[in-house]
Amino acid sequence: MIPLPIQIIITAITASILAGITCSLIGVFVVQMKLSSIGFCMSHAAFAGAALGLLLSTDPLITALAFATVIALILGPLSEKAKLSPEVIIGIMFSLTMGLGFIFLNFTPGLAATRQALGILWGSIFSVTIDDLILLGLLTFFIVLLLILFFKEFQALMFNRKLAEASGINTSLFYFLILFLIGVTVAFSLKLVGGLLVFALIVNPASSALQFIYDLKKVMVVSPLIGASTCLLGFFSSLLLNFPIGSSIIIVSSFTFCVSVILSPKRRRG
Amino acid sequence: MPEMVVKLRDVETTYEGEHLPAIKDINLQVDLSEFLVVVGPNGSGKTTLLETINGLLKVTHGEVIVFGHDMARNPSRVRKDIGYVPQDFLSEPSAPFIVRDVVLMGRYGKLGVLRRPERRDLKIAEEAMRLVGIDGFADRPIGKLSGGEQQKVMIARAIAQEPRLLLLDEPFSNLDIDSRRRMSDTLCKLHDERGLTTIMVTHDLLSIPERCDRIIVMDRGRIIVDGEPKYAMQKAEDLNILVRGLSL
Ligand SMILES: Nc1ncnc2c1ncn2[C@@H]1O[C@H](COP(=O)(O)OP(=O)(O)O)[C@@H](O)[C@H]1O
Ligand SMILES: [Mg+2]
Repeated sequence: MIPLPIQIIITAITASILAGITCSLIGVFVVQMKLSSIGFCMSHAAFAGAALGLLLSTDPLITALAFATVIALILGPLSEKAKLSPEVIIGIMFSLTMGLGFIFLNFTPGLAATRQALGILWGSIFSVTIDDLILLGLLTFFIVLLLILFFKEFQALMFNRKLAEASGINTSLFYFLILFLIGVTVAFSLKLVGGLLVFALIVNPASSALQFIYDLKKVMVVSPLIGASTCLLGFFSSLLLNFPIGSSIIIVSSFTFCVSVILSPKRRRG
Repeated sequence: MPEMVVKLRDVETTYEGEHLPAIKDINLQVDLSEFLVVVGPNGSGKTTLLETINGLLKVTHGEVIVFGHDMARNPSRVRKDIGYVPQDFLSEPSAPFIVRDVVLMGRYGKLGVLRRPERRDLKIAEEAMRLVGIDGFADRPIGKLSGGEQQKVMIARAIAQEPRLLLLDEPFSNLDIDSRRRMSDTLCKLHDERGLTTIMVTHDLLSIPERCDRIIVMDRGRIIVDGEPKYAMQKAEDLNILVRGLSL
């Protein structure tokens, strides 16, 4: 059966909301724990992985996930002990993963693949299937559940890892759980906004929320609200203006961030 | 025989990537309810000693036993009973944490996973804040407090943990004279009332509480004097240690 446009639109709207929620929840960790460089590398690794998936004609989601996880396993311990500076990590990994990604795409035969390839680079929300949606929904549920169950450990870890460790919390376990969740979120959101832009979707809403709020619990509520609404707004403006979906989501969310910086009481003196 | 809380045997700790150990040949035993003060010039290894005791730093030689437990194995369990006030803690101005939550976090390790803080925990946290005199700004973001006020928050957090061993790293460094005296009294009171074993690091001789039981003096990574306060200070003076590095 060829799906009706209304079905496509509902699927797309739901996907935008779910991706907006998960990305911006994970973003709170990324911003507050200064994991941007690792997260950035993971999102590009996920892109390279997805490209490899196209080349091998397997599910790009699985290869994207594998690549992002491998990056987390390599960079996690390195950055944990501050053996490498974030600039070095970004400098090397960014070019490496991008290079790999384009090589994989280059060898992928066929026109259909090219469209798909553009999809993982820039995102194509209309290619989101019901299965994707279910997976994304499960991921959202899973992340919210973990957040509720382990909120106090996450909170202590975000406040100060050394102090959390000193008071008897096994911080390494939670640190790697967070890295893993970043990887999964990146891989799952790839279809929506694409590998080049997914990281902005993670960082922007959380950064915006953190401009206003001094209570972590409230940040965890407001950040996904911002994330979901910027995704929706981006989606509709892409329909209206015929922009690529990923770009228009990112433009909306960057604009939101700029406005929050300007209005932020935290940036005012006194 | 007094009950032993901390025992370090031939301990040496080397930071990763360094060739020389930051502390070495450390033999130290701290008994239940002792109030021990560690003095020594900057860089003599005081902070390293504390973080070796609670296992944040791994020893490169020797062993660390706390409450009869080898800190090289599964240190999290013992850490629940060790309060730690780090040196020079300063939160970012925009950090999304209010003072009450930060103090309450002291109890998280003790509570264990999957258990939420209850009313009782909140009461203990409030009491700790009252003890150190920060109950007035329980709802303020921690980053908006002055260095001295944040230091008090860290002390309250450690007290809220209800530890059996308290490690304090220059806990008064940002406090004014008045606050210093009051905080010192509070810590002594805790020590007296709860029999809390306390190890306090300082490089400021004026912050040594009068009631401390014992002083050790460190210099260049070693313990060079260990004894009751009057003796230790005299000995250190003879050795010319305290004049060289300590701010008086
Ligand atoms: N993270 C570190 N890496 C390498 N060396 C360190 C580190 N921290 C401290 N040191 C070194 O270890 C020695 C002891 O430092 P520390 O324990 O901080 O002294 P104190 O607390 O008495 O001022 C110093 O020589 C210092 O340079
Ligand atoms: Mg020190």
